[in-house]
Amino acid sequence: MLRDAPPWRGQGVFTLTANTLLMSTSARLRDRRVQLARRAIASKAVRGSLVSVAGLVGGPVTNQAGEDVGRVVDIVARLYGADPYPPLTGLVVRVGRRRAFLLADTIEQVAAGQVRLRTARMDLREYERRPGEVLLARDVLDHQLVDVDGVQVTRAADLYLAPLADRIVLVGVDVSLPTLLRRLGPRRWQVRPTPERVLDWQAVAPFAEHATDGPAQVHLRGSRSSLHQLRPADLADVLEDLGRSERQQLLAWLEPGHAADALEEMEPKELENLLREAGPTYAAQMMEEMEPDEAVDALRDLETGERETLLERMPPAQATGLRVLLSHREGTAGGAMTTRLVTARREHTIAEVRGLLAEQAEHRTEIDAVAVVDPGGRLLADIPLFHLAVAEETSTLGEIVDWLAQFGTQVVVGPDTRIDEAADHLVASRASSLLVVDANERPVGRMLADDVLDSLMPERGRRHFRRFLQ
Amino acid sequence: MTRDLDTSPRAGLAPDEPGPSGSAGKSAGRRGLARVAAVVAIAGPGLVAANAGNDAAGIATYASAGSQFVYGTLFFMVLVTVALVMVQEMAVRLGAYTGKGLGALIREQFSLRLTALAVFCLLLANTGLVVSEFAGIGAAFELLGVPKWTVIPPAALLLWALVLFGSYRWAERIFLLMSLAFFAYPLAMILGHPDWGQVGSHLVIPHVQGGQAFILLAVALIGTTVSPYMQFYAAAGVVDRGAKPEDYKLIRADAVIGAVFACAISLTIIIATAAAIGGTGPLQSAAQAAVALKPVAGQGAELLFAFGLLGASALAGAVVPLSASYAVGEAAGVERSVSRRFRDAPLFLGLFTAQIILGAAVAMTPVDVIKLLIGTQVLQGLISPVVLVYLLVLTNRRSVLGAAANGPRYRIAATVVVLAVAAMSTILLVQTVLGWLGLA
Repeated sequence: MLRDAPPWRGQGVFTLTANTLLMSTSARLRDRRVQLARRAIASKAVRGSLVSVAGLVGGPVTNQAGEDVGRVVDIVARLYGADPYPPLTGLVVRVGRRRAFLLADTIEQVAAGQVRLRTARMDLREYERRPGEVLLARDVLDHQLVDVDGVQVTRAADLYLAPLADRIVLVGVDVSLPTLLRRLGPRRWQVRPTPERVLDWQAVAPFAEHATDGPAQVHLRGSRSSLHQLRPADLADVLEDLGRSERQQLLAWLEPGHAADALEEMEPKELENLLREAGPTYAAQMMEEMEPDEAVDALRDLETGERETLLERMPPAQATGLRVLLSHREGTAGGAMTTRLVTARREHTIAEVRGLLAEQAEHRTEIDAVAVVDPGGRLLADIPLFHLAVAEETSTLGEIVDWLAQFGTQVVVGPDTRIDEAADHLVASRASSLLVVDANERPVGRMLADDVLDSLMPERGRRHFRRFLQ
Repeated sequence: MTRDLDTSPRAGLAPDEPGPSGSAGKSAGRRGLARVAAVVAIAGPGLVAANAGNDAAGIATYASAGSQFVYGTLFFMVLVTVALVMVQEMAVRLGAYTGKGLGALIREQFSLRLTALAVFCLLLANTGLVVSEFAGIGAAFELLGVPKWTVIPPAALLLWALVLFGSYRWAERIFLLMSLAFFAYPLAMILGHPDWGQVGSHLVIPHVQGGQAFILLAVALIGTTVSPYMQFYAAAGVVDRGAKPEDYKLIRADAVIGAVFACAISLTIIIATAAAIGGTGPLQSAAQAAVALKPVAGQGAELLFAFGLLGASALAGAVVPLSASYAVGEAAGVERSVSRRFRDAPLFLGLFTAQIILGAAVAMTPVDVIKLLIGTQVLQGLISPVVLVYLLVLTNRRSVLGAAANGPRYRIAATVVVLAVAAMSTILLVQTVLGWLGLA
């Protein structure tokens, strides 16, 4: 950087560059959560007014006259509602020996470790859960949640409230370990917020939905929209780290297609557990959404009885397709292939084929080429997507088939071909997939390169604790 | 990343069998084996967890019981067996019904301070256990004539590296095979011709002695049999195998059989040692303990003993700190995968490393190894009731277990067990303090 600097601005540029360098380095080193914290706590004024939920619990409740009337037991917030930041809707307070519920509008001020009420008299009644409400200290604090930006499962070390307009809202979750130490310390430490690593509430998925007793509440799928931005592989990691009920809640929030994509990425053992605990109806739905080759893998890991239960709950056509795949032995092309095929005839034009492909866009990872068949369904040629991409829109598949014929016959494999043999063919033909044809030369499936890799590579990947137990 | 790299079933291998891809011809047979393995996988944590108690310190404690009190501790061991069965059952029930480990449950159900207390107790007890495992490795090599200070540091480094970078699972199998040497004990017991009449009467009729030495050993016996880490380990094992409430019957059977089996082995160790060197006072050395195996191995008894000791110690030396780090990570809610780098999982890997370093360092001190081994088990025995209280409270709570919470009768029985364990520890503590004050 220095060498590029114009000579006549020597010193000043040096300082500038050094500063930039220093800043960029420290920015890289700094936990990016600080940025999130900055976003959550927009200004210094807000930062000063943050109230720690952990510090508030057990704190005194005073009336307008400043008399001590009770202690805070829990904080009620409408977690599952339309608001981006959950508003505080009331407090559970211990007055003498009994517990009472105070509505948010009786609160004058919530400060560090204490609450002051607007009125001198209190209307004491039992807490009854209203739709969307959650007890923060009991069901969110110290419980698991998903950090959507950081893509990991973590536990809430503290929750921060802040005034927003005329309400008090939950703005963020503290996930740092030093905060735990602060909470272990004396009371004056407990009430002091330490927003060093705070996640913005909107970047968090909490699981308190079923925790608090009470009537079922409204649930807005849209409010957890940030979850839908997660890549399937990341979602799979998160699912593997969650507890059982949390995992089921997370799955329920996801669109079935998105959930199925994530399940395809999970480790076989974890997937097996998940499908077992999710119950047959949901598992069957997931199997429908999953790509056939992945679904077959998952089904193979289940016991015969469980497998039948799932297949019976699926649409007959799909179940039959999976049964055929299951009938092939593991370790053969038939056992590892996908049945997702795009087939066309000689007379189809390129434009028509592109239209066909566009309809199958959601299965793009499984489609590598288009199989051209004669009217009897027998294979003529397998045309890789590249040729379709460079061909004129008006030309027909037949022309490409004839042109390809000059390069010799294409390699195809049978369903019983062993995978290592298929791998040899794949390498020799320098293709990224091989078509699988039956005895009558009809295409039945496709062996993708990643399926071959999967089969040939020794087990690797992330080791969870249980690997050590086995 | 994790994706797709280990979907090895397609290669005809069971998911947990690393290695080159099996040929198609073999795959059918392998498949059948995998089925059996799957059944064992569901039923297994209890068995493994309970038998993990028979490690270096366990052997030393049982052997010392046999040598010092002959058959006098047998009835007490029967009581301990009942306690172990109940405790393990509660741990696996929590795991099966909540799908969460004990660390996570404690964090969610107790205040942060109580969580910190539980975590501190677990770490303290487990570090003691790691000390004993490295002392066991040292003792095994000293039997073969290698000084322990030349062995323990490289052994600690090797274990640490194997877990963090290497193929620990292969090493684990070797250690497991080596520790099978201790299955020579039942045979040694029969060949050692103990006085069966005495054994029988001591098993059924209590012969509890009030002396301080007996209380000390009794607490050590509790500590080594009902170690705090075993409950965490058993619950984690059940959760990680994805066991559900429907599998609970199988899991309970596994936990009960495992606990009874582990205690049966412990009894054979006591009886075999009692028959060989019973009444000669406290156990002096590992070589003396090896004498009990003479009826089986003759001159090779020391070699066999060293072999088993090394395997059992190395096995537990990695698993114990790992399970503690896992439980603490779970309670703290931080990343708990092992293969992540230090930067990503500082707490998990830091705790693991610290326990190994501390364990190896303490094991290097020139303290009499048998005293050190039994001392660590006394520590376990003192901490055990604290952890048991958490377990008891959790299994009593309907908000945690619903209908599977302890019924009134079970609640009373479990409370009695916990109180009895606590009473033993308290008596030992009081006696020790009085001893310090010169009042005993």
